[in-house]
Amino acid sequence: MVSETILSAKEKKPLLEWTPIYSMWLREIIRFFNMKSRVISSIIQPFLFLGLMAIPFSNLIPPEAQGMMSQMFGGLSFFGFLAPGIVGIGLLTTGIMGGVTVIWDKEFGFLKEVMVAPVRRISLMIGRSLGGMTIAVFQALLTIGVAALFGIWYDFQIQGIAGVGLALVFIILTFATFIGAGITLGGMFEETEGFMSIVMLLQMPMLFLSGAFVPIDRLSGVPVLYQLQFINPLTYGIDGIRAALTGAPPFLPLWVDFTVILAFALVFLILGARAFNRMQLS
Amino acid sequence: MEDVIEVNELTKVFGNFVAVDHISFMVKKGEIFGLLGPNGAGKSTTIKMLTTLLRPTSGSAKICGYDVVKERDKVRRCIGIVFQDRSVDRRLTGKQNLDFHARMYSMSKEEREKKIDEVLDLLELKGKENVPLSEVPDGVRRRFEVARGFMTYPEVVFLDEPTIGFDIKARMDLWDQIKKAKEKEGTTVVLTTHFIDEADYLCDRVMIMDQSKIVALDMPENLKAAVGTDLISIEVANHNNGSFIELVKRLEWVKNVEECGNSLLLSVEGHDGRVPELIDLADQNGFKVVSIDEHKPSLEDVFMHFTGRTMRDAEGSDRATRTRTTRRRR
Repeated sequence: MVSETILSAKEKKPLLEWTPIYSMWLREIIRFFNMKSRVISSIIQPFLFLGLMAIPFSNLIPPEAQGMMSQMFGGLSFFGFLAPGIVGIGLLTTGIMGGVTVIWDKEFGFLKEVMVAPVRRISLMIGRSLGGMTIAVFQALLTIGVAALFGIWYDFQIQGIAGVGLALVFIILTFATFIGAGITLGGMFEETEGFMSIVMLLQMPMLFLSGAFVPIDRLSGVPVLYQLQFINPLTYGIDGIRAALTGAPPFLPLWVDFTVILAFALVFLILGARAFNRMQLS
Repeated sequence: MEDVIEVNELTKVFGNFVAVDHISFMVKKGEIFGLLGPNGAGKSTTIKMLTTLLRPTSGSAKICGYDVVKERDKVRRCIGIVFQDRSVDRRLTGKQNLDFHARMYSMSKEEREKKIDEVLDLLELKGKENVPLSEVPDGVRRRFEVARGFMTYPEVVFLDEPTIGFDIKARMDLWDQIKKAKEKEGTTVVLTTHFIDEADYLCDRVMIMDQSKIVALDMPENLKAAVGTDLISIEVANHNNGSFIELVKRLEWVKNVEECGNSLLLSVEGHDGRVPELIDLADQNGFKVVSIDEHKPSLEDVFMHFTGRTMRDAEGSDRATRTRTTRRRR
């Protein structure tokens, strides 16, 4: 009997079940490419954010004030300061929105198909996160590329391949944090509406209190806001990405950024896996 | 024949509602086994427990010798499930859905391709496999779900209300496709349905459930034979049924009388000509016959025989409890 052979081969479960992880990953990728609108919007988005936000913002600063301001931005132009922040913001939104796919799977019934498969929940969680991560990393690299292109006119230079490599480490950890948070949240909701309202509530402060737009030490005069920046995982992610990409001095030592974002990533991935485990089928 | 499913005193309680009440039965290898009953009878809950989706409150069940609670993954490896609600990824094509499923069960590439080809053939889905499922009609989507149920060489395939929402033609096609797939694969099939004709046409044995309990279990022919050779339902005016029942019961060829609403259901023995005899009897005693109808027993009559009400009545009275439990389960 065929099922008999499948059984004996799988008697002891490996720690990581590669085929199911791969198939979950593949599903995310196929879904992404099956939706042309998603592909197109993810390509256009970096141009929009950098072209319609970073460029106008950086034009706020009159040429004669450039020198003084650049000191505030750690020696960077305003554009150069904003670009890594935009990479970070992209990771926050795509990561948390990854949680919405969990809810869609519940709504459209696909979760059942996944839940009865003889596969560990953690493998499903890893596969899904890796799929989202692949797309997010691709988007982040595209944003960096576009920023480098605009940087010709707006004074933004990347610190070579090593810089991008180091930035990638922070990009991956930052995304892992937010997809974990997204899946944890997604596990708590049955409908998209409830999830979205909470996401909006969380996303706004995280976006603006992350050092993406305003250097974090500029808020030292407003104690509450200043402190809040330090419980925001994105702060550490962006600080790391920015220092790695541009070579500007980080606000916190890089090893602190790295350790904190790594800790956040682990905590939220574990919470996400637990949320997946607890998910009930109605 | 060996038993592939053994169910022993299986029970599920939601809060203070008993959805499945100490049921026990066996399913033989290679048969199509039907769970028939009105909505809310406990069929789907039973299936959910057997497919490891719900944990039983008490009792036990074994599939292919594996316990559905203690050996969940082993059970999952030897079954295929077609859920009542849709369960495909609409963004993927039919083939991508099948492929995803096969990968989750760690099938090799050659095996996957061979098997996908085979199930597409069985469910007559060739030519439709490369379209995203959001763009195909519900009936086609359903057939992909059934095809998926047969993908991984399962010992047992569970189908929860396979043809709900289908038109007659599509239903009959799917019945034949299920039969064909079952023959070809040598699979045991367990299905739930609240369609009498589905159970009658498709199933080797039928288990009738009502109000969380088993009311009868046998081959459709035997179940029908238990009701009688022929059935006559008769309704008389002046609502004086009580005394009319007494009259009818005295006839020696009437084997059983059941009251349902205003009419009586008689199981009769022997040959034709019983209908005129009954009309005469009514006339002579001052009863006016409103309607009379003679037919071979169907599973509907079987249901009435064992529960004293029609399937439709049963659904009506259970609706309130059912909505309550769905809400609780959320």
